[in-house]
Amino acid sequence: MRLTFILLFVLSFLPTVGYSKSGSSDWQWHGFVAQGLIDVNHSNFVDNNSGLSPKLTELGINSSYNFLSNVRVAGQLVYLNGGRRYAEGVRLDYLLLDWGIFNDANWQVNMYLGRFKNNHWLYSNTRDIPFARPSIILPQSIYYDGFRDIAMGGDGGALRINYSDDKLGEIDFNFSSGVSSINKKAKQVILSEYATGDIKQSFDNQASLYWRPNFSAWRFGLSMLDSNFDYQRGAGADLFYDGVFAFQYYTMNAIYEGERWELSSEIHHQHFKTSGFYQSSYVKTNIGQGAYVQARYKYNNDLTLLMRAEKFYLDRADKNGSKLNAASGGKIPRYFGFQNDLTVGFSYDIQDHLRVQFEQHWVQGTGRLSPTVLPNPQINNREYWQMWAVQLMYWF
Amino acid sequence: MLGISQNAFGINVIVNSSVTVHTISRSELWRVYAMRTTVWPDKQPIVVYVLSTKSPTNQQFCKEVMKIFPYQLERIWNKLTFSGMGVAPIVVSSEQKMLEAVAKTPGAIGYVQGSGAMKNVNTIKVEG
Repeated sequence: MRLTFILLFVLSFLPTVGYSKSGSSDWQWHGFVAQGLIDVNHSNFVDNNSGLSPKLTELGINSSYNFLSNVRVAGQLVYLNGGRRYAEGVRLDYLLLDWGIFNDANWQVNMYLGRFKNNHWLYSNTRDIPFARPSIILPQSIYYDGFRDIAMGGDGGALRINYSDDKLGEIDFNFSSGVSSINKKAKQVILSEYATGDIKQSFDNQASLYWRPNFSAWRFGLSMLDSNFDYQRGAGADLFYDGVFAFQYYTMNAIYEGERWELSSEIHHQHFKTSGFYQSSYVKTNIGQGAYVQARYKYNNDLTLLMRAEKFYLDRADKNGSKLNAASGGKIPRYFGFQNDLTVGFSYDIQDHLRVQFEQHWVQGTGRLSPTVLPNPQINNREYWQMWAVQLMYWF
Repeated sequence: MLGISQNAFGINVIVNSSVTVHTISRSELWRVYAMRTTVWPDKQPIVVYVLSTKSPTNQQFCKEVMKIFPYQLERIWNKLTFSGMGVAPIVVSSEQKMLEAVAKTPGAIGYVQGSGAMKNVNTIKVEG
């Protein structure tokens, strides 16, 4: 409803902001279909029963229509099934009005209104686009699947300012402000089925800055996020209490794009303050940190190899999870305090727009298994677990 | 008006005859293909045409004319297209279709192997 109001409001102002349209190709359609198999041993990352699962389906279709030369409407629908990783079903990924406020040889300023997709992290706007991400499962320290629907974007507005010249290179600034709706399925992924109340995101402000020196193979980025969530306990039986989650998230990244080698790394630092929720008087701030280093090698035009190492802990004052274990009276194993992942894989282009991708993960720790608020040590009873996944994808 | 060849045996950058630009720097060309510059200096919208990423002419255009790797552009276009933040260039299936599309579309830019001589198509010089 909020989204509809935003679009109607903006559409009513269009005649005053656009200039005349010329040229062709005002409509664009694109889409993708991907189906895979994923085999997880000794964790409930995808299913409560370990083993081979077909719950690796991603479909999407998008369209963009230019009705003035500097004004466009664009939207994308996706269907996702990743098992317990995120809520299964169809979602409107984005539906926005893109107003090109200013453009010349050096500057590009665009405003987006409606439901926008975040553009702040290295892979944030292609995390669910199978052929445009480096691996099937992205580094969970940053691209935690449980937060996928919240991290993906929001209803509100975003601003993009790009500057380029031959001295400074390319400087891109992004700002966004908007909130995500959290439906019942998404709530259960984040807070478990025992949370019968309502969770709402009260605000989410994000900004990022990227710099590529002129014609450099390197690009560097910074981002920050500030967001709050309110939980109101259910009227009936609810395991949890009213609570507020305050979340600040900072990232730094670098990417090198060479002819054969591509290197990338992202580091993040998060403040996660919980007030209430577990008990009415509960207050705790965890400072979590994580990073990954990734190398891709393009053996030829069709075959790309992948290697990645990732490290993450929920609380820098408890990197090995021993305090978490002690605070729970020994009920929560210490390996729920961190999650490290070593990944190798490859992708092979069978033909243009048809690719198969494979990867193997060796994981230590269970700190990024949903729901993180209520760890399940009965199923996740091993510190070391593994998974492999293969996915066939087509796009147009 | 017939196009004027800059390099009869290499890649030539071609534009619709409505475009008043006769030379373009390598970095300006990159910004056009990265969809960062979307209007010509006279504010006419730029319509960008490309061949498929793996076609030999596209590979040669990226590596020899722009001195970048084809996957870098493809990545930028995918981000724009699948995030809703922008649009990708229009892909055509052959150089003949590229010539025809550029000839009939005001503000269009593309590239072909060889002279690119055709009515309503001009060849522009890439500097730098």
